[in-house]
Amino acid sequence: MSSLLSLREVAKAYRGDAAPFALEVPAFELAEGEALALAGPSGSGKSTLLMMLALALPPDVGRFTFAGSDIARLWREGRRDALAALRARRIGVVPQTGGLLPYLTVAGNIGLTQRIAGCEDAARVRMLAEELGIGAQLRKRPAELSVGQRQRVAIARALAHRPALVLADEPTASVHPELADAVLALLKRECDQAGAALLVATHDPERAARAGYPVLACETHAPGADGIARSVFARASLVEAA
Amino acid sequence: MLRLALADLWHERVLFLCSALGCAAVLAPLIVLFGLRQGVVAGLRAELLEDPRAREVVSIVNRTLEPALFARLAADPRVAFLVPRTRALSATIVLENQARPGRGVRMELLPTGPGDPLLPGLAAGEGLVLSPTAAERLGLRPGDTALASVARSVGSAREVLTLSLPVASIAPASAATRDAAFAGVPVLLLAEDFLDGNAPVDARPGTVEASRARPFAGFRLHAARLEDVPALDRELRLAGIEVASRAGSVAGLLRLDHNLALLFLAIAGAGGAGYLVSLGVGLWAQVERKRRDLALLSLLGMKRRALLMLPLVQAAAVALAGALLAFGVAAAVAGVLNRAFAGTVAGDRPVCLLTAGMGVAAAGVTLAGALLASVLAGARAAAVAPAEGLAEG
Ligand SMILES: Nc1ncnc2c1ncn2[C@@H]1O[C@H](COP(=O)(O)OP(=O)(O)OP(=O)(O)O)[C@@H](O)[C@H]1O
Ligand SMILES: [Mg+2]
Repeated sequence: MSSLLSLREVAKAYRGDAAPFALEVPAFELAEGEALALAGPSGSGKSTLLMMLALALPPDVGRFTFAGSDIARLWREGRRDALAALRARRIGVVPQTGGLLPYLTVAGNIGLTQRIAGCEDAARVRMLAEELGIGAQLRKRPAELSVGQRQRVAIARALAHRPALVLADEPTASVHPELADAVLALLKRECDQAGAALLVATHDPERAARAGYPVLACETHAPGADGIARSVFARASLVEAA
Repeated sequence: MLRLALADLWHERVLFLCSALGCAAVLAPLIVLFGLRQGVVAGLRAELLEDPRAREVVSIVNRTLEPALFARLAADPRVAFLVPRTRALSATIVLENQARPGRGVRMELLPTGPGDPLLPGLAAGEGLVLSPTAAERLGLRPGDTALASVARSVGSAREVLTLSLPVASIAPASAATRDAAFAGVPVLLLAEDFLDGNAPVDARPGTVEASRARPFAGFRLHAARLEDVPALDRELRLAGIEVASRAGSVAGLLRLDHNLALLFLAIAGAGGAGYLVSLGVGLWAQVERKRRDLALLSLLGMKRRALLMLPLVQAAAVALAGALLAFGVAAAVAGVLNRAFAGTVAGDRPVCLLTAGMGVAAAGVTLAGALLASVLAGARAAAVAPAEGLAEG
């Protein structure tokens, strides 16, 4: 198993007068097809880390490679279109509250990632929708769906273009507790089937563990003498560990 | 990309209609205003220009003007037409219809030449152009032959010079309201020479070339442009040649035209600037509203240029729909105005003149303003970090 994501000595800080925050990732690895839950209390930087891994937020320092590309360098050189192309082809995201475009049908929303990546495949859209139990809703608009159905549309969209990595930020935050387990399980099953690696941010490590995810908890440090709150996400290299 | 932009517009078609209506509401009065300017001012100007008398400058005192003066005036670019005239007293003839002998009419003989603005498209040639009243009284039609006679007394005897001249055409009423006949300069010279005793009873008109070498008592000229009339009038008076023209009223009308144009420009300028600002602000707000969607699309990997196209396409659609709507409304208003003011302000010309060119210009200006506003707003929106698209609910 080769490593899909690899971070070394990466740091990202928000410096404000009010409450400065620093995220540190001394080492982080994720293998292709692997699933992992990121756990930590509110404000611990889970979303910040996910955005960085989604190539949507530049790290301040450190080495960062994804699918063989030197992401840190792309950010340094300001090659936003190259980063956008990587996002479009290799990454799928499931926002906390669906993040669907209200003016497109369910089918249009699921196919959006395919269109942006330039790999339209209506059969796969239908197949994913059937799989996720929303096959009958394809022609509806998001406003006509239940919250749980919207979340499943977002999952289908994240998988439609066959990404190598799926990132989900609190995908269960806005659904019923009993639905939360189902969503987590669905995500994992679909990613397994598609061969995509999966990272889920959650504040509920037990639920993630129940759904069969390995959990990486973050280490939080209250503001020290410098007044900066720190969060550390560390995961030893799989290759080194083996 | 285009599909996405249009799907969004369709989804929010009520809002889209509102923006287009808002755009049209400001643009329509501007178009009407412009149409009015075009209709009134341009109509006024055209009417003045159409009246050949407005550009006329006539010398009124009989003098002896040398050929050099005529050569100089003819070469002046401000002079469009120049014809010399003989002494007023010797330019009177009796005209008779060959078919109705003995019923002659005494009338003025007026000089003309090729390209005379008073006789547009007509030429006397070797013959005559009759004023409408003269033609009617004599029962003459183009192609008929008229007998023109001039009489002089030699001692106690009466001698009459009679020329048989073809009627070339009938002059428009604007050229001469009284009984009059237009003829080439050689005919007038012959009449004068005969009255002065310098020509025998059987003399015939000379050539135009020969007449160029002779001095004349006066002239009639037409300026090339309305604007040249006051200057020509002034210069001729300075040269000691008494002239009559409409210099005063022309200058007044030109001033009015200028002031009206300035007024319209000021109103249209203020209105136009306001219009572009309101259009820009509306589109800017629209892009701000779309920020979340744009951030999401950016997160999903859409490139910046494609992201920028979204608000651009939508702005263009709003601008075009608005301009189209505005032009439709303006055309309706113009129709009402033209019917209401028919024949009062600008003669039988439309008061409010809308042309396709104006429509294209309005659409173009609107489109340019809309694209500028949405590019600025879109650039800001496209610069938002894609991170905004993920967590926020
Ligand atoms: N754009 C930003 N500018 C400044 N500070 C920010 C910004 N985004 C996040 N932060 C700060 O970074 C810290 C981590 O925020 P983040 O959203 O990553 O936490 P989280 O673990 O996702 O929390 P939650 O579980 O509540 O979603 C917080 O202290 C927050 O105030
Ligand atoms: Mg978060």
